[in-house]
Amino acid sequence: MARPEGKLKELKTAELRHEVGARSELVVKLNRRSERRVIPYGEEFLFEKLPVGTRVIYPPPPLDPLADADQAIRYALLHPENQDPLFAQLSPNMRVTIAIDDISIPLPPMRRPDIRERLLNQVLQTLADYGVDDVHLVIATSLHRRMTEAEIRRVVGERAFKQYWPERLYNFDAENRAELALLGKTEHGEEVCLSRRAAESDLLIYLNVNLVPMDGGHKSVAVGLAPYQSLRHHHNVATLRDSHSYMDPERSALHRSSDRMGRLIHKSLNIFQIETAVNTRMYGGMLDFLQKNEDHFTDWDRTRLRGFQWTMRNMSNEMRRAVLHNYAAPYGMIGVWAGDTETVHRNALARVFQQYAVPVKGQADILIVGVPYICPYNVNSIMNPVLAQCTAMGYLFNMYRNKPLVREGGTMIICHPLRDEFHPEHHPSYIEFFHRCLAETTDAVELEKNFEREFARNPTYIHMYRYGNAYHGVHPFYMWYWGEPARQHLGRVIAAGCEEPEVAARLGWEPADTLGEAIAMATSELGRSASITYLHLPPLVIADVE
Amino acid sequence: MSVYSQSKTSGAQPPKRRAAFYDLDGTLVDLNLVHAAIFTLANVGEWSGRVSYLLGFAARLPHLYVAERRDRRLLNTLLFEAFKGVSRDRLLSLGEEYCERIVIGRLFPRGLDLIEANRAAGIEPVLVTGSPDFIVAPLARHLGVADFAANRLVFSRGRASGRLAEPVMAGDEKAAWCADYAAARDIDLADCWGYADSHYDMAFLAKLGHPVAVNPDRRLRAAALSRQWPVIRFETAASSAQLDDFDKQQELKQDFERSTRGSDGAA
Repeated sequence: MARPEGKLKELKTAELRHEVGARSELVVKLNRRSERRVIPYGEEFLFEKLPVGTRVIYPPPPLDPLADADQAIRYALLHPENQDPLFAQLSPNMRVTIAIDDISIPLPPMRRPDIRERLLNQVLQTLADYGVDDVHLVIATSLHRRMTEAEIRRVVGERAFKQYWPERLYNFDAENRAELALLGKTEHGEEVCLSRRAAESDLLIYLNVNLVPMDGGHKSVAVGLAPYQSLRHHHNVATLRDSHSYMDPERSALHRSSDRMGRLIHKSLNIFQIETAVNTRMYGGMLDFLQKNEDHFTDWDRTRLRGFQWTMRNMSNEMRRAVLHNYAAPYGMIGVWAGDTETVHRNALARVFQQYAVPVKGQADILIVGVPYICPYNVNSIMNPVLAQCTAMGYLFNMYRNKPLVREGGTMIICHPLRDEFHPEHHPSYIEFFHRCLAETTDAVELEKNFEREFARNPTYIHMYRYGNAYHGVHPFYMWYWGEPARQHLGRVIAAGCEEPEVAARLGWEPADTLGEAIAMATSELGRSASITYLHLPPLVIADVE
Repeated sequence: MSVYSQSKTSGAQPPKRRAAFYDLDGTLVDLNLVHAAIFTLANVGEWSGRVSYLLGFAARLPHLYVAERRDRRLLNTLLFEAFKGVSRDRLLSLGEEYCERIVIGRLFPRGLDLIEANRAAGIEPVLVTGSPDFIVAPLARHLGVADFAANRLVFSRGRASGRLAEPVMAGDEKAAWCADYAAARDIDLADCWGYADSHYDMAFLAKLGHPVAVNPDRRLRAAALSRQWPVIRFETAASSAQLDDFDKQQELKQDFERSTRGSDGAA
């Protein structure tokens, strides 16, 4: 049943009011009376005094979730963008593949029911109603690690899991040559290779979750169901250096390349794209203070923060990790669209920017970021130094449109303990990358030239990717390339609170014992008048820098 | 910290010779040394002889258990004493039979895939195992592995003396053998891969640039985690969901039969 249009309009007006009211306070300048600020620091949170005059950018408060998510999904399936409704595209003997975003989004994983479960239940019901039996569910992992049985069950829900696992619900395998199909080359000579099952289907349905504007669109299929052979055309140093930023698809060479590939895929495949957007309600309940402006902290907030810090500090690493990775975020769905990929993605992007974008005036000399315990590639795993680098310089640096938050040649201060700690089953090639390749050079071009192919074709890493739960051998290279625009732009990177200085040095960063020391190091060069910006996490924010 | 080599590598340099050293029992095959010993002893001589060999072996079991807990070299030494008096010819034919009837069917299919993938990448396979050479030789031939190190019995007048020839393939000796092997062929151990399942193989694995714990026991797993060694799991054909088990096994058996027919007496 369609949602009444009147209700939709009411909802949007209410959201806009909420937005305009809230966003005037999102950029805060600190004074002497300002409270200390919460800063993510790996598996802990710091509560630190920042210098007077520091500009703190807060993420917008969460937009209200759709009142009835299931109803909204039904509406989207019945009223798709530039395509016939899903049911009208079905016939009993057709072959359908449903590709699903993997565990890398949203972060942290959301409370059950996951959005993908909601989508899947309705899509599968529609397929069953129209007699479509030949249905496969593929987790679009690309070169990410295979999701475990329990992780898949959690994402797709009991109903789909019981019906399809394991014969018709499985992880994509980018190294199973027999299951890949070459669709052709783009006008730029990019080879477009895809899951054979998807390529030979009469209908490919993609179920997406947009956490940030980088996600979704043509990237879903062209990357999620593609092997190294295709990814190397855009996951490379030259393309990523030309992306300003990853969160601004119009100015991202990465997106332009995946769009070209996506358009070529569309010529031979019938794709029904379903995109969703979630709000910024990353932490709720006892942890909701993490999303607050600290100047508005109540005594109860301070007590909870101290209790949380004490508890985290007194846990073993393993236990702390287990507790944090067990946390599920109370995200709310703020939009769902279905149909033609480009139109759907345009709508989803508009909504995502509506949720995340904050107008900011001017760049800073020094940007402070805290690297949290989780990034897209360490769900239920360890945030190793290469991933910490990717999170800080690949993701947090790129949380902008127009201009970076920090000026060219400026300094970035990254708060993370940076321990020489890796997950041997999830990140085996990262270990060799860190200890062997980075020991030789941190130059991305050299790394790409001398080592990438060796790692991409390494039999043990391929074996661990295909049959274990390891990221592909080439993945750490992509993580390093991801930080390349930041490396090109910044003059200096300081690791604040670094526990193992040699790890910081290996990454090409300067170590500092504390955040205070890091700020002193940065201002000693730039002067006391240097402007400082702190990008407040959690949740996430995208700065529209004027 | 890792053991990885920090020596300079460049794409422009000629490819280096590389080797992958594989332990056998528990790593490539779902069997252990005791199983091989029981099979062999249960098939030597007349029925009465077999019973006495097996009883003798049973009497050794407590010693073997203690040895297994303490020292792999001691275990090998005690275990191979049980073969005392068996003729060389008989052991060779039993080795062939054991390999054909038992070992081939218990190889981990993905282990075989990995050997082939490594070989395709220019990493030559070498078996380094505490199993006896009369079992390892036919298996190596079947796998197309040119070089292997296995335990060798000392024979006197065509019969096993019950002693092992030096070096006994266990612990440090495995590592030393690999070092000698690499030195003789101008291979840098830092470029080599090693695969093993037991904590007794720690010294062997630590010697190599790329150690990998395969189906590790509790202690090796702990060591692998702390040393940041990759950990992989091979499953038997029966539990490997993605393999067409029966066909694969039949194929392997046929390959083996073909290879043994073509090299009768070469072991």
